[in-house]
Amino acid sequence: MGSLDATLEAWAPRVLSVLRIVAALLFLQSGLVKLFNFPVAPSFEMTPLYYAAGTIELIGSPLLLVGLFTRPVAFLLSGEMAFAYFKDHAPYSFYPFVNDGSLAILFCFVFFHLVFAGGGPWSIDRLWRKMD
Amino acid sequence: MLMTSTTTTWNAWMPRVLSILRIVAALLFMAHGLQKFFGFPAPFPVPLTPLLDIQGVIETAGGAMLLVGLFTRPVAFILSGNMAVAYFMSHAPRSFFPVANGGDAAILYCFIFFFLIFAGGGSWSIDAARAKTA
Repeated sequence: MGSLDATLEAWAPRVLSVLRIVAALLFLQSGLVKLFNFPVAPSFEMTPLYYAAGTIELIGSPLLLVGLFTRPVAFLLSGEMAFAYFKDHAPYSFYPFVNDGSLAILFCFVFFHLVFAGGGPWSIDRLWRKMD
Repeated sequence: MLMTSTTTTWNAWMPRVLSILRIVAALLFMAHGLQKFFGFPAPFPVPLTPLLDIQGVIETAGGAMLLVGLFTRPVAFILSGNMAVAYFMSHAPRSFFPVANGGDAAILYCFIFFFLIFAGGGSWSIDAARAKTA
């Protein structure tokens, strides 16, 4: 492994934290849209199921943002996105490009990766709980 | 650092799950290029401009290389920058909030690829296979 590769690898855990934070911020928006119509109103009709989804998003995203209980929260959010994909997108087409489910899939697999990789060094899990 | 045996097991699988993330992101990303040049899985709504031609090449070739995990880090570097430019060109002017300007996916792609620069392609990649035989 060249020295450039080694240097990059050394920074990978911190960039993992960056990815976690960015994904959490984006996902937080989804919850805010559903429950607070901020910054825009949802483009779909709100049903009790969507209110439940919004609640999960609003609780899970801040936890993921600060990196607290990263693995279980990421597992929950990953599952929520998988559920959302198969319910709201997959019935319309096999192709995510056509059924507009790309974002759900991306979130699902980013969170899935966080389950196995943890939150990275910039997280409450690592800093306060001394565990990953 | 306290590590339970469960955590250690999950950490052991992380390189493979990294590959899964890379493959999924690459497939979704490549679809944009395939749409431009092959009309698959849906035709492109407007005629291609030179800029879109170049973008299509980046999407198709870059996505394909990332799919198999060949030269992951440099390809991821290019694609990450590509998505950053795309976000500031096409989405940021519409609204500050990604959920309002449709730029969620661009940002997520950008940072997934940015992460791949540092983390590499994972165990299921041509890069990893070449490293083992090197």
